[in-house]
Amino acid sequence: MLVRFKLNGREIEIDARPDRRVVDLLREDLGLTGSKEGCGAGECGACSILVDGVSKLSCLMLAAQLEGRTITTVEGLSAGEELHPIQQAFVNRGAVQCGFCSPGMVIAAMDLLQRNPNPERGEIRRALSGNLCRCTGYQKIVDAVEAAAGEMRAEA
Amino acid sequence: MREPVVIGTSLPRSDAPGKITGKEKYAADLYPEGLLWVGIKTSDYAHALIKHIDTGPALQIPGVRAVLTCRDVKGSNRVGVPEGDQPVLVDDKVRYRGDALALILAESREILQEAADLIKVEYEELPALFDAEQAMLPDAPVLHEKRAGKNILLSGVIERGEGRAALAACYALVEAEFELPAQEHAYLETETGVAWMDEEGVLEVVASTQTPFRDRMELAHALGIAPEKIKVAAPYLGGGFGGKDGITVQAYLGLAALHSQGRPVKMWNTREASFISSTKRHPARLQYRLGCRADGILHALSCRIVLDTGAYAHLGGPILEMAMEHAAGVYRVDHVYIEAYAVHTNNPVSGAFRGFGATQALAGIEQAMDRLAVKIGMDPLEFRMKNAVDRGDEIGSGVLMRNSTGIKACLQKVREHPLWAARREWEKAAPPFKRRAAGVAAGLQGTGYGPMIADIANAKLELLPDGRFRIYCGVADMGQGNNATNVQVAGEALKQAADAFEIWQPDTANSLPSGSAAASRTTFSYANALLGACRMIEERILIRSCNMGLGYHQEDLMLLPGRVRHLPSGKDIPLAVIAAAMTEAERLAVYAYKAPVVDKAPALVNSAIQVAGFPHLIFSFACHLARIEIDELTGEISVCDYLACTDGGKVLNPQVYEQQIQGGVVQGMGYALWEDFRLHKGEVLSKNLATYIIPTSLDTPDLISLPVETLEASGPFGMKGIGEISINLPLPAIANAAYRGLGRSLGTAPLTAERVLLALREESEEGCLC
Amino acid sequence: MRQVMLPASLEELWALRKEHPDALVMAGGTDLLVRMRATKKDLRPVLVLERIEELRHIELNGSEIIVGAMTSHQQLMDSSIITRHIPALGQAAAMVGSPAIRHMGTMGGNICTASPAGDTLPPLYALQAQVALAGPEGGRMAAIEEFIRGPGQVDLKPGEILKQVIIPLPGKTSVSSYFKVGQRQALAISICSMAVFMQINQGRYIEEARIAWGSVGPTVMRFPEADARLQGSQLSASVLREYGEAASRLVAPLSDIRASAGYRRMLVANLPLRLLA
Repeated sequence: MLVRFKLNGREIEIDARPDRRVVDLLREDLGLTGSKEGCGAGECGACSILVDGVSKLSCLMLAAQLEGRTITTVEGLSAGEELHPIQQAFVNRGAVQCGFCSPGMVIAAMDLLQRNPNPERGEIRRALSGNLCRCTGYQKIVDAVEAAAGEMRAEA
Repeated sequence: MREPVVIGTSLPRSDAPGKITGKEKYAADLYPEGLLWVGIKTSDYAHALIKHIDTGPALQIPGVRAVLTCRDVKGSNRVGVPEGDQPVLVDDKVRYRGDALALILAESREILQEAADLIKVEYEELPALFDAEQAMLPDAPVLHEKRAGKNILLSGVIERGEGRAALAACYALVEAEFELPAQEHAYLETETGVAWMDEEGVLEVVASTQTPFRDRMELAHALGIAPEKIKVAAPYLGGGFGGKDGITVQAYLGLAALHSQGRPVKMWNTREASFISSTKRHPARLQYRLGCRADGILHALSCRIVLDTGAYAHLGGPILEMAMEHAAGVYRVDHVYIEAYAVHTNNPVSGAFRGFGATQALAGIEQAMDRLAVKIGMDPLEFRMKNAVDRGDEIGSGVLMRNSTGIKACLQKVREHPLWAARREWEKAAPPFKRRAAGVAAGLQGTGYGPMIADIANAKLELLPDGRFRIYCGVADMGQGNNATNVQVAGEALKQAADAFEIWQPDTANSLPSGSAAASRTTFSYANALLGACRMIEERILIRSCNMGLGYHQEDLMLLPGRVRHLPSGKDIPLAVIAAAMTEAERLAVYAYKAPVVDKAPALVNSAIQVAGFPHLIFSFACHLARIEIDELTGEISVCDYLACTDGGKVLNPQVYEQQIQGGVVQGMGYALWEDFRLHKGEVLSKNLATYIIPTSLDTPDLISLPVETLEASGPFGMKGIGEISINLPLPAIANAAYRGLGRSLGTAPLTAERVLLALREESEEGCLC
Repeated sequence: MRQVMLPASLEELWALRKEHPDALVMAGGTDLLVRMRATKKDLRPVLVLERIEELRHIELNGSEIIVGAMTSHQQLMDSSIITRHIPALGQAAAMVGSPAIRHMGTMGGNICTASPAGDTLPPLYALQAQVALAGPEGGRMAAIEEFIRGPGQVDLKPGEILKQVIIPLPGKTSVSSYFKVGQRQALAISICSMAVFMQINQGRYIEEARIAWGSVGPTVMRFPEADARLQGSQLSASVLREYGEAASRLVAPLSDIRASAGYRRMLVANLPLRLLA
């Protein structure tokens, strides 16, 4: 089946089984391994992507659902060497340890800051609560999102 | 000109940009062209003889290319360090449900489980053991014929002074028993890797592993291949915590690659498969009797520790040793009796997990300490301060604190912190239907491997033709940031900027053996070696600069970012120019470092316990404070405030230091409050992340981490490893707080809401204060 | 390989369903796809409802609030109609899973999955919701407590889908809220949940109370007699304790990997006191 959708700013067309999991399509068919798989069952958030600007779990999506959608993965957030402010904040604030949860965290943060550009720490924690992390204890990730929110408000 | 790196600053980690953009490739992210997927069939029984395996039905599934059994394994078919007792594919009997009976190669990941389900195995079920105490009884079935005692992998006794006899002379005595469950590592990247046979007939394996060099030797032994014909590479791991210390999928990959008709192979455990197959933290039963004099000085300790080491040995011996060594915590106790057993059962294999036996032991001693403090009416922090060691003292297990010993400074930091000082007012301000309580715990973590297993790191550093440097890291980076720290260490030593360095991830072909990513030694050992290599390279560069016909003297030369400066004239020579003048051999520096050990161990333990690591030399220390709220309606415990004061020697990078402390504390909170690993007759019931509960960002607070900087002279720039210490104290700190809040102890971990509510109900039924 | 179809309208849906009578119907996919992963593979086609816009709306229509079946939990949370008139439903939606799950999961999906622990169900019972079912031949209504038969069982006739949920608009002096106990603060299946609807008069006396319990029986449970005893009282610890004790004797919880039946009963006895906070 041909699926047509916009991916990280580019129109693409791909032939895929309609029931292929989107996480597999991204990682294996398109080489975009930034979205990770941690559980395959919607419990960890490592596979998070933006679908029409809204965060969703690609391990619980089927290829056919991509038709006509605008998809953003973590790879679509940076341009060459230049990182998105959220990504830069993660780097600067020490929010990346093993890094396997990090792309999903960035997507969750993107979703939050689109809805609420000036969140309090408790709201940040809530926004990240679907993304499990085993390394950081979350604190520096919250610090990074808080810092990024400030950056992005200043730039706006 | 670029700024040189400075030790002690929060230089952002060099691995962060690659990871945050999704560009960094973990083992899970590799999809070699034409790959075949690999899966295993695990056992349907916890203990059974294998009579027959019929792989035929699985081969009928379209897309299944091969199904292998033990007959296809040419080598020893055994992995596991040091015992080598775990089969790759079972050839005699299964000893736990994660034992692999067959290996499947298929075109897609989806059909692996289908194929596994169709393989017909004829078992002869054997009586199984699921309780470590029962496994030691005289009539218990034997799980391993080669063990000395009945199902006992290792046991030992430490007796000092009058031992148990001194309990009678104590002014006050407490007795307590604790049951600790298994803990799942639950790293986000499960066990995974790829493998292929290259054109030279060399088996190449890229895996999410903490031990690439050791893996190579184990693969050689297990599969019957010469080590020179095996290469293992370890990209950044998506978490390890000890669960990838040793062979997980590597032997399956190697075997598959030998039978894949030249195609590369990949294995990636589903989360459920990871729960079933992977190692766990040793479940433990701790029985403590602790007594003191009237003035609060500890007088006697008697404890018995039983660790369920599961189906195979793995690192159960060294873990038992650590439990014994840490059983008396950070305290002087003259009269001690510590007996400990690591016992086989048909439960999942227990293995390395951050803390490594110290976690369980400290849970015991620290809770016993609080009960004794209550009994004699002494403040728990003062009680600890009174009994904690100084440098030059021996801790109760008989280990001399020869090196930096900052425990009292940690205790002091907690004592003077407003969170502790103002705790009574805070407790009194509890909202309706909530109780508040504060609890402390103190502890230590022995770093390195002990006196008998050499802790060696071999650094390899190259001056590249363009004047930058490549560090061939020897120790895997599972997220702790050791490889980024190498950049900071080398940058400081060579006076270079951070971007002058390239990190080469460990691989057996290009890096040098440098030990496992374990034992809080990854930066300590490798960075010490790296400093040696830096000194060699610096000397070579400066001498070479003298050789370039400019008439310079070495003492007039200095390394600066990207150049060598002749100080008298102020003239700079770019490093690229010097590199161009050097041969390849000159541009490479190799330096071997062996960590110091105790050279004369106290004659306290049997030789097997000595080999297992008794005693360690260098210890990190910490004191933690937890302020909790107990919900009287639901039993939920919420941690409101948390303070961790840690002695890790000199802080090389405050941000990376905090990363380790914050992460370890939250992982320890999981162990304390939510991670109820459920097993029934050897079957994992909590086998996914929906039923094995780890904390989310909404469950834990911001915590405060304060370093206590002693100077560990043997450590690079004076540091000590802190990878593990922080996970040891959340359970006892929170349990101690709960003990005060509930007026009773739970004796079991985790302190789930259900257990707490039950305790609250008992309290109200018994007419206690509520 | 499974066929996956995304009809854009109800007409298209009826046609596809006629062609594929054995097709699985998928709303947000957060339950269905997880179940499919865990069970033996079959190759039944999947009919995804996400493109049918007429199923996605929240309206206040005179004396009724109408919620389309494909309305997401996030949309329930964001709706001023819900927040203003029936906040318990928005509070419950806010406790489903995680942010991403709330973007994907739907009102209709939560109902038709009919898990005993479904978060939006207790508020719907307390608010006396009805469901509107639709099929190619026409539609019908059912009370939610009639529609949900048991764990995973709803009274959907062949060819029917759940189209809308209809909630009577409560009086201006009503209050409603939702309380959940899970094993942690997010990504948690409810162990015991309580939805409370009350009409309180000016003297702070309870005119009417409807309390619904989740995760303590095969379906959501209500105890009209115990509710009735709250009438005429003021909210106080003793009144709520009495209600809680009564309800805890009437619920029918099971023990499972998350919690024991005994713990669940204790929660039922205690949770009403949350209303005092």
